[in-house]
Parts: sequence; structure tokens; C-alpha cells
Amino acid sequence: MRIDLLQGTLDMLILKALTGGPMHGYAVTSWLQRTTDDALQVEEGSLYPALHRMTKRGWVKSDWGVSENNRRARFYTLTAEGKRQLKEESTSWARLTEAVAKVLHSRPATQVA
Amino acid sequence: MGWMVDRYRTLRSLLWRERLEDDVAEELEFHLAMRTDELVAQGMSPEQARAEALRRFGDVDTYRRQTHVIDQDIAHERRRIELWDMVQRETRQALRSLARSPTFAVMTVLTLALGLGATTALYSVVDAVVLRPLPYAAPEQLVSLDSRVPGVSPEARWGLSEAGYFYFAREAPSLASLGVFSARSASLASDAGPVRVDTAWVSASMMDVLRAQPALGRLLPRESDLPGAPRIAVLGHAFWVRQYGADPRVLGTVVHLDDVPTEIVGVMAPGLHLPEGTVDVWAPLTLDPARPPVNAHWLQGVGRLRDGVSAARAQAELTGLDRRLPELFPSAYSEEFMRQKGFATDVTPLKRHVLGDVDRVLWILFGAVGLVLLIACANVANLFLVRAESRRRELAVRSALGAARADLSWHALTESLLLCLVAGALGLLLAWSALRLLTFLAPDHLPRLGEVGLDAHGVVFTFAISVIAGVVFGLFPLTQLGRSLSALRESGRGLTSSRRRNLVRWGMVVGQMGLAVVLLTAAGLMLRSFWGLYHVDSGLKTESALTFDFVLPGTRYGSYDAANRFHRELLTRLEAVPGVTHAGATSRLPLRNFNGCAALFTEHGPLGDDSVCLPTPSASPGAFKALGIPLLEGREFTWEDLDGKADGVVVTKALAERLWPGQDPLGKGLRGNGHEPPYYRVIGVTGDIRAQGLDKPPTQAVFFPLAPAENLPLWGPSRVMSVVIRTSTSRPEQLAPVVRSIMKELDATVPVANLETLDRVVSQSPSVARATFSLLLLGIAGGMALLLSAVGLYGVISFIVGQRRGEIGIRVALGARASQVAGMVVLQVLRFAGLGIALGLVGALSMSHLLSALLFEVSPTDPVVLAGVCALLVLIAALASYGPARRASRVDPAEVLRSE
Repeated sequence: MRIDLLQGTLDMLILKALTGGPMHGYAVTSWLQRTTDDALQVEEGSLYPALHRMTKRGWVKSDWGVSENNRRARFYTLTAEGKRQLKEESTSWARLTEAVAKVLHSRPATQVA
Repeated sequence: MGWMVDRYRTLRSLLWRERLEDDVAEELEFHLAMRTDELVAQGMSPEQARAEALRRFGDVDTYRRQTHVIDQDIAHERRRIELWDMVQRETRQALRSLARSPTFAVMTVLTLALGLGATTALYSVVDAVVLRPLPYAAPEQLVSLDSRVPGVSPEARWGLSEAGYFYFAREAPSLASLGVFSARSASLASDAGPVRVDTAWVSASMMDVLRAQPALGRLLPRESDLPGAPRIAVLGHAFWVRQYGADPRVLGTVVHLDDVPTEIVGVMAPGLHLPEGTVDVWAPLTLDPARPPVNAHWLQGVGRLRDGVSAARAQAELTGLDRRLPELFPSAYSEEFMRQKGFATDVTPLKRHVLGDVDRVLWILFGAVGLVLLIACANVANLFLVRAESRRRELAVRSALGAARADLSWHALTESLLLCLVAGALGLLLAWSALRLLTFLAPDHLPRLGEVGLDAHGVVFTFAISVIAGVVFGLFPLTQLGRSLSALRESGRGLTSSRRRNLVRWGMVVGQMGLAVVLLTAAGLMLRSFWGLYHVDSGLKTESALTFDFVLPGTRYGSYDAANRFHRELLTRLEAVPGVTHAGATSRLPLRNFNGCAALFTEHGPLGDDSVCLPTPSASPGAFKALGIPLLEGREFTWEDLDGKADGVVVTKALAERLWPGQDPLGKGLRGNGHEPPYYRVIGVTGDIRAQGLDKPPTQAVFFPLAPAENLPLWGPSRVMSVVIRTSTSRPEQLAPVVRSIMKELDATVPVANLETLDRVVSQSPSVARATFSLLLLGIAGGMALLLSAVGLYGVISFIVGQRRGEIGIRVALGARASQVAGMVVLQVLRFAGLGIALGLVGALSMSHLLSALLFEVSPTDPVVLAGVCALLVLIAALASYGPARRASRVDPAEVLRSE
């Protein structure tokens, strides 16, 4: 099943991925796929503009390092600001899903004559 | 050292912008490679795996591009922040370091600011007057046309004649258009009363020549200059704003221009004036092609060359056309006139024509100010040297402790750039105030004066010089650094290297002294010129006299009778005012507009039929008494002379001596060009007057009466007049209100103009005003040179004496007397000062010919000035060495030896 992501949701997921420590982009994709059991089908490439945009905003910072199989790769680290951002976003996401769930679980309104 | 790395990064990202792109590509490729590897591990063939990886990745190019754009933003932002941080950090550091030596900082800034301010101010003048093109479209195509008749007067420039204008406009293919004008003031009467306006009477073609555009309404259409065309006028933009408050409703209104009802049809685009000066009103000149040609050259010609045509080609063409004048216009241009007198029409690029020799004066002054800047720079260089000296140890220690050489020079550079930029800003402020003063003091005839002001050019100029100075001075400590290291090894006692540095220092002093000699010589020569001009006997009595101008409209004062009734009534009333001793009028006021060139013939005498070219003003009875011009022989005009019976003229002494040497001039005959005998008779001879400039020889002129004698044709009635009132008070300007009210009673439509004292007319006359202006500028430059050299000299001597304390202490200990020690210091100073002065004299003498254009009755190698300047500088050098010498003589040997 393919789920389209809401605007900004990808950012939140990436931030979450990085809470485990510095990662390169490929690792972030793999982590997302693993964690969601491949439910999220985003184009892998779309991750990179997102990562760089977040770098620009100061949520993550990047450094060149060496990957587990000895290749040069860019590693992203969560900054303090990024952590704050993640907290904010997850809070509002929780509120949103809660609200949506309430609506979906309510009984349909009936016309009272 | 972290900031060094930052700086390196900033530099690298500036230079290696494309690296960003490589980084992104590498990152994306890493991802694809990882995915491919994983898929291969799962059993795909490498090709399949790669294709699948690409499919999952999506549009690689788009993502790469997006990512790269974001990275560029990031890099840009970081660069900005880093640069700003760096500037702040370096500035703070420089400020801290400068705060530790405030005297150095203040001296540097003040010295440079003075030099920069003066240079910028003068640069702005040179730029506006000389460098900037004329404010017309394609100004390089504009040429001035005028005529020369060497046989009549070698230097007089005549304009074009009406016939010449029509002829050249028709026949010269090099000229895309040709226009003529006559700039003359007029009275403009509207409901608000009469005002005097600078009017450009122009041919309609002038609109094409200047490529003029209206700001409002329309301009003068073709054929508006033909006889019978409706009378219309266009207002100058500045005049429209000033007089009408920029009210567009002025279009279509009718004013009286020289008493003729004239409709305002438009307003000229802002800033458009005649090449020679401002224009309040543009009105068509009535030119009739059918009028018989006359050899009267009263029109100024301006032509526009066709695209790609040179002025030289136009000149060749006009010279060819000149040859056909006698054949085409036999009544006006005889073969004899053309051949004997050598008539020629000249084509001059308009800018050259407008500037005259003003650019030379300005370049000289600019050069003088540039020298001041050089002196200021030498001074600052010395200040920097002294500072570098005092910081030698500090630098040496820091560099020994591992500070990179680049770091240290970077600090020094920031420091000097900071100082120079502050000095530049202060200099701009000075320049701005100086320009206001300059435009106020500049001679009235300085062309394009209205365009002078501090603008972007001046700011860029100052900024550029500040930066250059900052970099140069910043490099000084760098040259010292290598030696600092060795200095440390020698425990700070590098005697040879300090001697070499002292030589550099003395070299600067010698240079400064030399430049000061050049400048002071120029200022001194100017002072003598000015003094000379000031003491020239103009032949007039300029004190206690008031003067004003007016123009009578031709409609009501077209006849001699009408004009003279007005003149007589005016002068009679003025003479009746208490405090007024004499009142007179003349059509040409000495030292203001005493020009003109009419060909005259004498009855008999050495010149025979040869004509001379002279100003021929008309003068009222009482004019000579009012002007204070004495009559050596005969008498002046009386009102009885003006009833049409008398035929007297008054000549100046210089003319009488030229025309009738050794003879009695009274009763001799003179007639004007084209007029047939009989002759006017000389009734009086004035004393020598210098009416055409105090720097010119005594004026040769003939004063004609206000009306001609019977059968003796004369130019039209004198309607453009200057009145002179001689008073018994020392404050003639107090009579101004009375003068205005009398003029108003007589004819309220005739405006009073140029109401001022005769003293002011003299001080504003071109030769005096130019001398005043040049003297002022050269004087300021010379004074600054003197001050700066004195300060610089003092600084260097103080420093060197301080350095030699040890040696002096030993000398004193060995028995040298105080006077001997002081004498030794003074002697050393005088030796170097003398060398500087000698070099300066060589410079001054080799540049003397440049100055001669500005001088009056003084040789550019005037011994008095040269000797005076040398004496003054020796005195300054002695004074500057006095303090340090005294200090040296009081050195306590015991204390010095202890401190060693």
C-alpha cells in the first residue's frame, strides 16, 4: 500500500530517524523503510532536497565522513534546534491524528425532526 | 587560529563555487551505489540492480538541481555571515589596538582627511567643469562656429552674420543642423510685476541642434523665427519652478517680453541651458532670409555634425564656403576685405569653446591640491613608520610565538584600512563644505559652475584613494617584519637597520620640504600677482559708487528721443537725491561688459584707411564724473550735445596716443565701418582706464554720445544701459531703495538688475575674481603644506632625538655642553631641510612655465618669492627642531646610562 505524505511530514520522519545518531541519507531511507515495513513509498531522491533544506534551517548539520563500507558519505546530525522542531511537530501531529481519529470514530450526526 | 581557517574557507567558497555541485553529485551517487550493492546482494545482476536503484530514486537530475540550489543558498548565507563576522572581529581588534595609541590614530585621520577633502573638492570641480561631457544629447557632435578677422583685431572672435547663418545652414553638408542664438537679458512683465530674465533669443533650429525636449507643452516650432510668426516663448525649467512654483497652468498665458505680448507655449526639460550660461526664457529670434546681407557678426553659431563627420572635415568645408562669400554677397563681403583682412569661419568643438583656458587653471589647482595629498601621505607614512618602530618588539615577540606572518599583516592592513576609510569619510564631509565655499567664491565667469557639487564620482574618487592609501600604509609593517625577527635576535639593537629606517624617515622629510617649496612658491607668486592686480590703477574711482542695469523695451523706446528722455529724466532725478554727487549712464560698464568690436576709420593719420576694432560704448552726460574717470583734455558730453546738432566723441588716452601720436587729438575725425564721411570729432580725452580687465593694457575705446549728430548714422538707441551713481557716503548701497523707487515711478515695467557697488563689479571682474580664486586655493594648499611639513618634521625630529638619547647621554657625560648638543640636533635638521628646499627649488623652477598662465606682472622665477619661501621653510625647520633640541640638551647622562 502506498501512502502519500502530508506536506512537512517527511521532514518530521527524517528528524526522528536522526535521533538515533548521525546518519547518511541512504541509512535514513533504509531506516524509514524498515520501520514502516515498506509502507511509505516515497521517491528516495526526494530525501536529499529535504535534508539540505533542513540543513539550511539549522535543524541538522552535515559533515563528510566514512561509511560502514569505507566510502565517503555525508552524515547528518540532529542539532538542538532540530530536536526542538521534532518535538513541536510530533506534538501537533499527535493532536491532529487524535482529532481526526475522534471524527472518524464518532457516530454520524442524525437529523432530529 | 580558528578564524584563519574561517577566512580560508570563505576565500575557498568564493573561488570554488563549483565544488558545491560536485558534493551534491557525490552524495547522490553514494546513495545509488549503496542501493545497487544491496540489490546485487539480493541476487540481481549489476545492470538490473542499477536500473532498479535509479527507478526507486526518482528523477536524479531534478533532485540534484534542487539540492544544489539549496546548497548555494546555504553557502551564500554562510559567506555573508562569515565575512561580516570577520569584518566585525577585525574592526574590533583594530579599534582596540588603535585605542592604545590615540595620538597616532587622530593624527593619521586628521592629516589624511585634510588631504583627501581638498583633493576631492577640487576633483569634483575639475570633473564637473572639464571632464564631464556637456549636458546635451551626443555632445561630441556639437561645434561652435565663429569668425575671425585677423587683420582687424588679432584676438577678437566674431559670431556669425545672419547671411552667413542661412548660407552655411544651406550649403554645409557636414552639418546635420545649424542654429544661432544671441543671449541677452530681457524684461518679463506679468501680473506679478517686471523681472529681469536671462533670455536666449534663438533660431528655431537651435531646438534640433541641442536635441531639446520639453518638460511641458511644446518647444519653438520651425518657422517660429520668421518675420510675422506669432510671438511665443518657452520657459527654462529652473525659472518655471522659481517664478511660477512649477504651475502647469502657465501654459497659454501671455506675458510681456521686452514689452511684446508673448504666449508661453512650453517648459524646457530640466537642466537644459545654453552652453554659456543659464536660460530663464527661450524666445525665437526673428531672422529674415530676405533681408539684404550685412557684414554684422552678432550671432553665436552652434552646429551639430552629421554622424561620423569630424570637426576637421566641417572646417575644411566651411573654409571652402568662405571663399565664395564675396561672389555671393558682394555688398557685405568685398574681395578686398576677405583677402586683406583674412576673414575665416572657425569650427571649434563646443566643449573647447565653452571651457576656453579654464581647464588649464583648474588642472594647475588640482595638481597643487594633489601635492598636498602627497605631503599628507608622506606624513602619514612617517606616522606609520614610527608606529611600526614602536611595535617592532611586540610584532617580533608575537611572530616568535607563532603568529603567522599573514596574520600580522592582515591586522596591520585592517588597522590602516579602518583609519583611511574614517579619514575618507571625514574628507568627504570636508570636501562637501569646501565645495559650498568654492562655488560661493568662484569667479562668476567660471563655466559650468552650476554643475559643480559632490556627487557619486567624488565619492568613488575619495573611496578609491582611501582604499589605496589604506593598502599601501598597511603594507609598511609587513616590510618591517622580516627585520623585526632579526631585531629580536639582536635584542633590539640593530644599529644599522635603524639607521637605514631613519634615512627613509629623513627621505620623507626631504620630500615634504621639496613639495612644500613648490606649493608655497606657487602661492607666493599668486599672492604677488594678486597684489599687483590690486594695485593696478583702473583709472576709475570705484569706492562710494553704486551701479545698476536696465533694458528699455524697444516698442516704447525705439527712437533716440524716447530713450534719451528716459535717460535724462532718470539721471536728473538720481542727481537730486541727497548724498548723490553725480549720476551717469553708459552702454558698457568698465570691468563688467566693456567689450564689442566695431571697425573704425580715421580721417587722416598714420592708419589711413586701415580700420581698427574697438569697443564703442555710448555715454551720457555725467558718465565720466560718475565713474571717476578724469578728462585730460577737452570736455565730456552735455545734454545740449544730444539735440542732434553736435558730433563729438570722447576717446581714451591710449587710443589717442595710438591714432595721433604726438599730436593734439582734439578735433580729429573718426567714423564707423560702413558709415560715409563726414566724421565725428574728438571733444575730449580721458585718462588711462583699464576697462577690459585689470590685467589688460590700458583700454582703447571711443565713447559715442547717446544720439547721433545729424547726417551721422549711429547704431540704434542705447536701450541696454548701466547707470553709475557717485555718492558722498561710504555706504552707497544704502541708496538702493531710493533707486528702485525712482525707476518704478519712471516706468514700472522696466526691472532694475545687478544693483551693486562699483567695488563689487571690480572684485567680480574676471581677472580679479580669477586671481582671488586661484590665490585662495593655492594659499590654502600652501598653508596646508606648511602646516603638514612642520608637524611631520617635528614628529621625525622628536622621534630621532628620543632614539639617540643614549648617544647624547654619553656625549654629555664626556663633557658636551647643552648648547653643543642642541646645535648638533638643529644642524642635522637644517642639513636635511636644506636638501629638501634645494630639491623643491629645482622642482618649482622646472614647473614654473605651467603657472605663467595665472600670473600677472610677476615672473614665475621671481627671486623675491623664491627667497621668501626658502627663508620661511628654514625658519619652520628651525622652529620645529627647537623643542626636541632643547629636550636633547637636557638629557641627564646618569639617568640614560642607568636605563641602558
